[in-house]
Amino acid sequence: MITNLLSWTQYLPALFSGVGVALALTGIVIVLGFFLGLLLAYGSVSKVRLVKAVALVVVEVGRGAPLLVLLYIVYQGLPQFQLTPTAFASAVIAFTWSAGAYSAEVIRTSIDAVPNGQSEAAIVVGMNRVDSFRFIIAPQAIRVGIPPLMNIAIQFFQFTSLAYAITVPEIMQAAYFQATVTFDYFSVFLAAAFLYASITIPTTMLVSRLERHLAKHL
Amino acid sequence: MLGVAGYIALGIGATLLITASAFTVGGILALPLALAQRSRFVLLRIFVRVVVNVVRAVPPLVWLFLVFFGFSELGLRMSPLAAAIATFSVIAMSYFAEIYRAGLSALNRGQEEASAALGMSTIDSYRFIVVPQVFRVVGPMMATYGIGLLKDSALASTIGVVELTFRAGSQAQQTGQGLTVFAIVGLIYLLLSLPLAIVSRHVDSRLRARFSVA
Amino acid sequence: MNDPLANADETAPLFLRASGITKTYKEHRAVDNVTLEIDQGEVVSIIGPSGAGKSTFLRCINFLEMPTEGTVSIGKESVAVEPGSRPPSRGDLAAIRRSVGMVFQSFNLFPHLTALRNISLAQERVLERSREEADERSYQLLKRVGLEAKSKAYPGQCSGGQQQRIAIARALALDPLVMLFDEPTSALDPEVGAEVLSVMRELADEGMTAIVVTHEMAFARDVSDRMVVMVDGSVVEEGEPHKIMSDPSHERTRKFLSAVVGR
Ligand SMILES: Nc1ncnc2c1ncn2[C@@H]1O[C@H](COP(=O)(O)OP(=O)(O)O)[C@@H](O)[C@H]1O
Ligand SMILES: [Mg+2]
Repeated sequence: MITNLLSWTQYLPALFSGVGVALALTGIVIVLGFFLGLLLAYGSVSKVRLVKAVALVVVEVGRGAPLLVLLYIVYQGLPQFQLTPTAFASAVIAFTWSAGAYSAEVIRTSIDAVPNGQSEAAIVVGMNRVDSFRFIIAPQAIRVGIPPLMNIAIQFFQFTSLAYAITVPEIMQAAYFQATVTFDYFSVFLAAAFLYASITIPTTMLVSRLERHLAKHL
Repeated sequence: MLGVAGYIALGIGATLLITASAFTVGGILALPLALAQRSRFVLLRIFVRVVVNVVRAVPPLVWLFLVFFGFSELGLRMSPLAAAIATFSVIAMSYFAEIYRAGLSALNRGQEEASAALGMSTIDSYRFIVVPQVFRVVGPMMATYGIGLLKDSALASTIGVVELTFRAGSQAQQTGQGLTVFAIVGLIYLLLSLPLAIVSRHVDSRLRARFSVA
Repeated sequence: MNDPLANADETAPLFLRASGITKTYKEHRAVDNVTLEIDQGEVVSIIGPSGAGKSTFLRCINFLEMPTEGTVSIGKESVAVEPGSRPPSRGDLAAIRRSVGMVFQSFNLFPHLTALRNISLAQERVLERSREEADERSYQLLKRVGLEAKSKAYPGQCSGGQQQRIAIARALALDPLVMLFDEPTSALDPEVGAEVLSVMRELADEGMTAIVVTHEMAFARDVSDRMVVMVDGSVVEEGEPHKIMSDPSHERTRKFLSAVVGR
C-alpha cells in the first residue's frame, strides 16, 4: 500500500533536468526583467510623449495579454520576419517582456511609496537630487520593492511551465515525455506538481520572513 | 485578414465560458473556506491553509494536465472543456479564499462594535457597514483576479479546448502569419479585460503584486 | 515698513527678510503679500487659525513651495520670484536652503538610517565634512538635545519626542543662520511636546535665530521676541507677544486667542 502510494516518486529523477532548465530560465528572466522594468518605469514617467507612450504600451501588453500568447507571438511570430530564435530564446524574450512589465509596476509603486516628506527633508538639509535619490529615496524604495519583486520571481518560476507549449525542455516537457512513455499520467504529473510545490512553498515562506525583516526600519 | 480575425473571435464564447464559470464556482466555493479560516478549530484552519497554499504553489498547467490526463487514466474521463472549468474553479477557489480573508481582516473590529452601539440590527450592520467595507477591499481584488483568470484560460488550448488561443494557433499554422494572428488574439484578450481593469484600478499595489497571474 | 525693493546692502545687516511673499493655488491666495524680517538671535512666532497660510509661508521661505511672487534674502544671498519671469536657478535655491534649517510637524526623519547617520549624512554630502568629523559633530548635537544614548537607534525605535529632537539636531548640523519650525509639537502628546519645547527654549537662550509656527501659546509668549498673527493668508497683527496676548487689537486675533485658550 505504502509503496503504491509513493510510486509516483519514481518519476522524480526523470524530471530533475527539467528543474534545472526551469530555474535557469527563471534566473535569466528575472535579471533581464528587472533591467527592462527599470527602463519601462523610467520611460513611463518620461516627458517625451513618444517614449512614454511606447513604455505604457509595452507594459500594458506585457501585463494584459496571456503569457502563452506572448510566447506564441515570439516563437511563431518572429519567423514572419525571417528571425528564428530557439525555443529557449523565445521563452526568454516573452517572459522578460512580461516580467519587465510587472517589475516596472513594482518599481514605480515602490518609489511612490516613499513619503513626500522624505524628499522634502533631503531638500532642506541641502542634498541635491542625485544624493537625495541615492541615499534617501532608493534605499527605502528597495526595502519596499524587494519582496514583491521576489514574489514575481516565484510566479515566473511557475510560469516556466508554459514554455512546455513551445517545446522548451523544462519540467512539464520532461513530465509529458515520461507520461507518454509510461502511460502513468497521474503519477508523473503528481511528481511534477510535487517539484513545483517543493520549490515554491519554502521560497514563499522565506520571502514573507524577509518582508518582515526589511520593513523593520521603514 | 478580417476572415482570420472573425474565425478567432468565434473563440470568445468558450474563453468567456471558462472564465465566468470558474469565477462563479470558485467564488462560491471559497466562501466556506474563508469562514473555515476563521474557525475555532485549529485543525480545520490548518487544513484549509494547506489546501489553499498547495493549490497556489503548483502552476495551473500542471493541475490542468493532472485533471485532464491523470484523472482519465484513473477512470474519470472528462471533456477538455469540463476539465478546464473544473481545474480553474478549484484554483479560483483558493485565490478567492485568500482574497476574502484579506477583506475580512481589513475590516476594523470597531466597525461592528460601533454599529452595534448605534443600535443597529445585525442584518443592518452587515448590510450597511460590513459588506460595503469588505467589498471596497475585495471588489477590486476580485476584478484583478478575474483578469488573471481570463488570461489563464488560454492554457485550456493546450488540452484541446477550442477557445481564442486554440483558434489563433490553428490560424497561425494555416496562414503562416504567426505575428499578425497572435497580435490579434492578444488584442482581443486586452479588450475583454478592459471592463475588469477599470474596476481593479483601485487595488493596492502590494496586493496586486501578490495576486497577479499571467 | 521697509521698502521691499531697498538694496539689502544699504540696510542694516538683516539676517533674513522675506518680502511680498504671495502664493496662489488656482484662484485661492494661500499667502497674500506677507513680509517678515528677522534679526540675528531673534525668535519670531507665527500664530493663527488652521488654514491661515502659516505653513505655506514658511515653506516659501526655503522654496519648498515656489512662491508665486516675492523675494527672500538671507545674508548676502537674495532670490526674487516674479510672475512671468524665469524661475530661480537650482544653485540659487541651494544657497538659500543651505542657510535655513527646517523642522517639520511630522519629523520626517530618514527611517532607514540611525539617529547619528540622520544627522551626519548631509554634513558629509553637502558640507563635505569627513565621516569622522561629521559623526563627531552629530554626536555632540545628539548630546545637545539629550539623546546621545540613542545615537545607534533607528527612528522607529524612538518616541515621537525623541524623533523630533533628533530632527532638530539634524537641522542644526548644517549651521543654519535661521531655523524654521512648523508646529514642531503638534503631532506629540503634551508631556512629550514639553521636552521638545524645552530644547527649543534652550537653543533660543543660546542665540538661535528662528521662526516658529506654533499653537503653544505659553511658549510663544515666553520665548519669542515678536509675535505675528496670520489670518486668511495675511498678517493681521504683529508685535510684542505679551501685548498681543493680553490686549489684541484685531478682532480676528481676539477670536483666535479665545479659541486657543479655551481648549
Ligand atoms: N498644495 C496645495 N494645493 C491647494 N491648496 C493648498 C495647498 N497647500 C495649501 N493649500 C491651501 O492653502 C491654505 C493655507 O494652508 P496652510 O499653509 O497649510 O495653512 P496653515 O499652516 O496655517 O494651517 C489652505 O487653505 C490650504 O487649503
Ligand atoms: Mg500648517
